[in-house]
Amino acid sequence: MRKSREVPLTLLAAAAMASIGCHNGPRHCVDAQNHLMPDSYCEEHHGGGYYYVYGGSSGGHIGDSVVGASSSSFGGFGHGGGGEGGE
Amino acid sequence: MRRHAITPRSNWKDSVERVGLTYHTLDDGSPYWDESAYWEFSAAEIDRLEAATTEIQRIALEAGDAILSRGWLERMHIPAKAASFIRETWQSEPPALYGRLDLAYDGRTIKLLEYNADTPTCLVEAAVAQWYWLQDCFPKADQFNSLHEKLVAKWKDLVPYVSQPVWFTHDGAEEDGMTIAYLQDTAHQAGLKTSALAMRQVGWNSAQQRFVNPMGQTIETIFKLYPWEWMLGDAFGDNALATLNAASQKPVRGKVQWLEPIWKMMWSNKALLAILWELYPNHELLLPAYLDGPHTMQNYVRKPLVGREGAGVQLFRNWAEDGGAAPPNKWDVKAADGGFVYQGLARMAEADGKAAVFGSWLIDGEPAGMGIRESDGLITNNTSRFVPHLFR
Repeated sequence: MRKSREVPLTLLAAAAMASIGCHNGPRHCVDAQNHLMPDSYCEEHHGGGYYYVYGGSSGGHIGDSVVGASSSSFGGFGHGGGGEGGE
Repeated sequence: MRRHAITPRSNWKDSVERVGLTYHTLDDGSPYWDESAYWEFSAAEIDRLEAATTEIQRIALEAGDAILSRGWLERMHIPAKAASFIRETWQSEPPALYGRLDLAYDGRTIKLLEYNADTPTCLVEAAVAQWYWLQDCFPKADQFNSLHEKLVAKWKDLVPYVSQPVWFTHDGAEEDGMTIAYLQDTAHQAGLKTSALAMRQVGWNSAQQRFVNPMGQTIETIFKLYPWEWMLGDAFGDNALATLNAASQKPVRGKVQWLEPIWKMMWSNKALLAILWELYPNHELLLPAYLDGPHTMQNYVRKPLVGREGAGVQLFRNWAEDGGAAPPNKWDVKAADGGFVYQGLARMAEADGKAAVFGSWLIDGEPAGMGIRESDGLITNNTSRFVPHLFR
């Protein structure tokens, strides 16, 4: 026999997709100096020094400093689902 | 081998959805999972495919040594900043899981079309959906498909060599998401703690110089369905290199193990095809392939060095363009850096006006199963249908 004897599925059918969590907290697009930038900069200028940070607050105006956000930056990988990485 | 037409299971959509193949239908409404036919093989034919897979893996390993010892990464248009990390991981052999050879087989000759070594998909179809199809339709028949058992066994072997939780990530469409979910499932069944997140949720903590999830948890072992070529061009690409666990097989605090390892850039790059031909000219499992043009070939395909699902592949007959696939995406164009491989045409299995490509899977470097894709033309792309198989 060269087929698997059993193919039990636990996470695949349901839980795995649910476990690909979404971060629902507020996020801000910032430049390298932590200044608030339009989201379009993070979406269109990957590699240009613009990142999402999560949490924190700002005056809400472009150029404001974002304070109290996560010290980590996000969005430095990925193309927003724009291309399939698999082949 | 023979292609049989049959009547699909009346509940085929529900059946495949239940086992994770939710992307069973193409945008035009036609089936991607096509069980209106199946391919039947003899045991001897499966033996040949398995032996060919073993042999190609052997010469690919030899090619890896040759690429590094002869300084050929530049010929492959692989970024210079990746070179030392490729070299180091090739020596240290950090965890690696899987790959898929795409083979042409007309019943007589087997030829390597390409090696999808970094981010292969069609795994849920091959490992799961066709196995359940066989149980429903031909339970007494066999199938070249021990993928599930071998994946779980490989994760068990990796337990001492990975940090837990093992993270799983992707950035693509539904197919990529389900592929990641399945791989996570196999790791879970092996007893590993696992967690999943989207590629854009992989964060960089610059103060602590480490990758984190949105909750601040440190990421030390991560399986990515996301090509290295794209990663290196991303904003965090240099951080990935700076924190890469390149020297050790085992986890190192402050370093990250990425699966597949970065040395897979040598095999997923289609320059490998020309390098194999150069090292093993006229090898029975290889097609003529060159990096600097078609040489004396009249009929050939031109493939970008980096590309997915047939994108950018152009067919030439009598030196003239004779059809091609969709253009590649901008990230692959950038990664290919203008480089192409020119590869001779193979004799394909054809039936009912369709050409079949045989995807031969390797787990831990060993043959593990097969999935078949059918196309209306010679180029397999993201609309090529998956057709199950069996052997007796």
